[in-house]
Amino acid sequence: MSETRFQRRKDLPSTHLLGTGTPMCAGCGGLEAIHQIYDILGEKTVFINAAGCMTMLSVYPFTPFRGSWLYTAMASAPAGAQGVRDGLDVLLHKQRIESEEDLQVVVLTGDGSAYGMGLSATSSAIERGLDFLYICYDNEGYGNTGQQYSAATPHGARTATSKGPRGFPGYKKDLFAIWAAHRPAYVATVVGAEPLDLARKIEKAKSLKGPRLIMALSPCPTGWHYDPGESVAIGKLAVRTGCWPLKEYVDGKVVHTKVPHQRPPIEEYLKRQGRFSHLFQPERNELLLQEIQARVDGYWEGVI
Amino acid sequence: MKRALLTGNKAAAWGARLANVDYVPAFPITPQTEIIETIANWIDQDEMDCRMVTLESEHSMLTAAGAAAATGVRVFCATSSQGLLYAMEMLYTVAGWRAPFVLVNVSRGLAAPITLEPDHNDVLAARDSGFLQIHCSACQEVLDSTLIAYRLAEDERVRLPVIVNMDGFYLSFTREPVQIPDTKIVNQFVGEFDPENIRFSASAPVSQAVAVLGGTPYSYFRYETHLAALNGLAVYDEITEEFANTFGRRHDAVEAYRTEDAELVFVMMGSFATKAIDAVDGLREAGWAVGVLRPRLLRPFPADHFRRALAGKRGVAVIDQNLSMGKGGVLHTELASALYASAECSPVVVSFIGGLGGRDISLEEFYEMASVARKAIEEGCAPPPRLLYTREELREVRKLQAIANVEREELGQKK
Amino acid sequence: MYRIRYHGRGGQGMKTASRILGTAFFLEGFEVQDALRYGAERRGAPIFAYVRASRQPINVRGIIRRPDLVIVADDTLVSIPAAGVLSGLKEWTILLISTTETPDVWKKRLNFSGQVLKLPEVAEVEDRLALRFVGSACTGAAARLVGVISRDSLEEAVREELTYLGEGVIQKNLDKALEAYDLMWDHAGAVREAGEIPADGYEKPEWVELPFEEARISAPAIHGAATSVEVKTGLWRTMRPVIDYGQCNRCWWVCSTFCPDSAISVDEQGTPHIGYKHCKGCMICVAQCPAHAIQIIPEHQAEIAGGQS
Repeated sequence: MSETRFQRRKDLPSTHLLGTGTPMCAGCGGLEAIHQIYDILGEKTVFINAAGCMTMLSVYPFTPFRGSWLYTAMASAPAGAQGVRDGLDVLLHKQRIESEEDLQVVVLTGDGSAYGMGLSATSSAIERGLDFLYICYDNEGYGNTGQQYSAATPHGARTATSKGPRGFPGYKKDLFAIWAAHRPAYVATVVGAEPLDLARKIEKAKSLKGPRLIMALSPCPTGWHYDPGESVAIGKLAVRTGCWPLKEYVDGKVVHTKVPHQRPPIEEYLKRQGRFSHLFQPERNELLLQEIQARVDGYWEGVI
Repeated sequence: MKRALLTGNKAAAWGARLANVDYVPAFPITPQTEIIETIANWIDQDEMDCRMVTLESEHSMLTAAGAAAATGVRVFCATSSQGLLYAMEMLYTVAGWRAPFVLVNVSRGLAAPITLEPDHNDVLAARDSGFLQIHCSACQEVLDSTLIAYRLAEDERVRLPVIVNMDGFYLSFTREPVQIPDTKIVNQFVGEFDPENIRFSASAPVSQAVAVLGGTPYSYFRYETHLAALNGLAVYDEITEEFANTFGRRHDAVEAYRTEDAELVFVMMGSFATKAIDAVDGLREAGWAVGVLRPRLLRPFPADHFRRALAGKRGVAVIDQNLSMGKGGVLHTELASALYASAECSPVVVSFIGGLGGRDISLEEFYEMASVARKAIEEGCAPPPRLLYTREELREVRKLQAIANVEREELGQKK
Repeated sequence: MYRIRYHGRGGQGMKTASRILGTAFFLEGFEVQDALRYGAERRGAPIFAYVRASRQPINVRGIIRRPDLVIVADDTLVSIPAAGVLSGLKEWTILLISTTETPDVWKKRLNFSGQVLKLPEVAEVEDRLALRFVGSACTGAAARLVGVISRDSLEEAVREELTYLGEGVIQKNLDKALEAYDLMWDHAGAVREAGEIPADGYEKPEWVELPFEEARISAPAIHGAATSVEVKTGLWRTMRPVIDYGQCNRCWWVCSTFCPDSAISVDEQGTPHIGYKHCKGCMICVAQCPAHAIQIIPEHQAEIAGGQS
């Protein structure tokens, strides 16, 4: 990454653009990622939001944005982005605004929209070659409604709608692969706990044109049941145990920006979160733990 | 100005072209597809400087339309029936953004059962959304109404999106003579879109369409939208007065035909209302004092226009080409509420339901409706609502049911 | 009708507490209506719950405008206007407060002529959010104060509402509830059911005609940048992170980057500063500081020490 201006952590931004005073939960991993991303994307942006936790970022008359924002609906934020991008292009083409007035169009959705309801709109926006960024804050469930399971919920997790002894029976959808199959300009996974990796990827995404999609793991104290102060520690563990691979899709190839060697057992990550407590209490669910570990191991065997 | 034979769809496309629209998000659905095909063709031939994008659904199409309007460009789009309903969430949403644009709806009956033919249930489902509604009865009117709609939508006293409605098939695919007005004169009439401060630009950050907490701010925003819609009545009258002076055609909020000395008045919307005009002529010849009122504006609801036009009348026959399940005809309900407790205006109001799914309404049926209404006037009370449906039609359905193996005990048609 | 309003913070168990009281009334044969009032409720943010109980069917709904009993589970809420603790307080309202201060101090502070009763539950505890049984204590006291709930009904209600928890936890809650119940013996029945507002003697609502305002004003849009800084999310805090500048390495790229709320600013010398108006007390900075230079102190101690809020 020689061309990046983020060589060391000292190069990270020291001024923060996103305003304080939002009603996100204390320790919100989604806000963690967004506040870092906004520092790099800057104010010449218009964020197009789908229904989710971040709907509450802007509640009349309060907004944390120094740029612009449009709240649309759960299924159609990419279509809203299409309308804004096209609108700006027309205004520029017909010289009704100066080029300095142009804005980057950024879609912001949670996993509920990205993995499910909004997938159709996303697919079509990529297919149309829309010039936009897409940020998905993935807290692995429908967070704003009380953490019911979504297509992003990992196998075995307890949620409001999967409280049985084995947790969520489904498996986390591979949205990265689905997005990448569309061959957009760029796809990347990030996590706020790894700010340098995140900064480089946002910087790269910003420099490209076309559909660029970012998936940010968003540790959620409220939904995952842990103390808010742990959010960064848990994010780091997600990477170190290999559960959240940090990777990019660019120029037709998938490249991992961090390959964890000597991965700690996945249970180091799981046991810190109340949503997996049933794997340990009243007794260890050895079978499920092994299954989860095997899936992680299987992934990395395919990579290395 | 040239006069040509145009379908309603082509007339709508001409309206968009003459209004110099900037952006057309599109999605195909019968019977409006010809509109977007025509525009796409003009763009390809460099006859329109406009961007068209096909979205993947009408819900996305309406989102893109509102978002582009909220960015500051003039937007046009078209849909119908199932598509309009698929977009329903966004109709309410974009109206609340106060994003002005024009949506042409080509009216078509709603599933289930699915059909391709027209009635008004689709557009009426949108009547609470905040979109204004103009209903057309001829292809000329479709073109004219599109131009009027841009003036109405963009007026600072309104700033709401507007639906221009035409009936599928009877207007959309039917050619009629249409005067295509001169571009320069239209440009002067429609003007340029001034987004004011509802737009996106780097130098003026804005957070649009934000959430609210609490009934107090919510009530404020919703009621302001309602007040803006109500303003549409006065603004519409101003605009159509100007239109009449400019183009020589009058499109009043409620069109009246031979109502001045009428005792009995038909009330209906859409293209079948012109059939009522013929029926009125026939009845007049037979000595009846009868007329037709055709509301073009449905939202905002032109209550005062109705009350003035119906003052002193003894009977009204409302013909609804729609059906609110469990209640009846929508136009009947809305008109009756407007006439309630008005001393000068208390006719007997009779309800007829006809034309569902494009079912024809014959001249004889109009004459018979007049008879029923006259009897109601004499008796001082209205009979129960009547569905226009004949014995012949029922026989036809029975034959179909027999093939479909539907058990019909009373006809002894067991297989 | 008994009209009871609870005030607490998200995470202090107000929902359970109000439901225990509701169930207790219900077991005594009352018609009951209880609910939690949601705003953008978050852990630590002010919330309230209400309970209505009557011998007649209850037709009224929604917020309680004129409570007969106001229960404050966390006295730090009184000074937060958004918490609405004092809303609708009348001379006959009983104010039950979980506090270390005396009732007289509160009467003076609030200029309140009604009765103030305190729950002595709160010892010099550190984190208000760690008071897991304050809800049960509040409800136990309330049950005695209304005078129509028996000790047995209270116990049954606690067991019924907490049935999903282990017996150990249930017992702890029960002990606290009964302790508070017994403590309020002298004040049994102090809470009176206020009557309804008469139709021939009410204050006229000041209805206005909402004037039409152009979309530039009446659209739900915010024309400005970062107006959110007006919202003092610092009020959610029960504990406060404090940087010991003697230990601080000035590696601002750690704490300042990791604060999700952008509440840690960096000055020209590269020194990080925590903005207490907005810091929510998540303690990510404490956990991540490589030099362990950030301490945690209880919010009310910081106020006593003259800290900024």
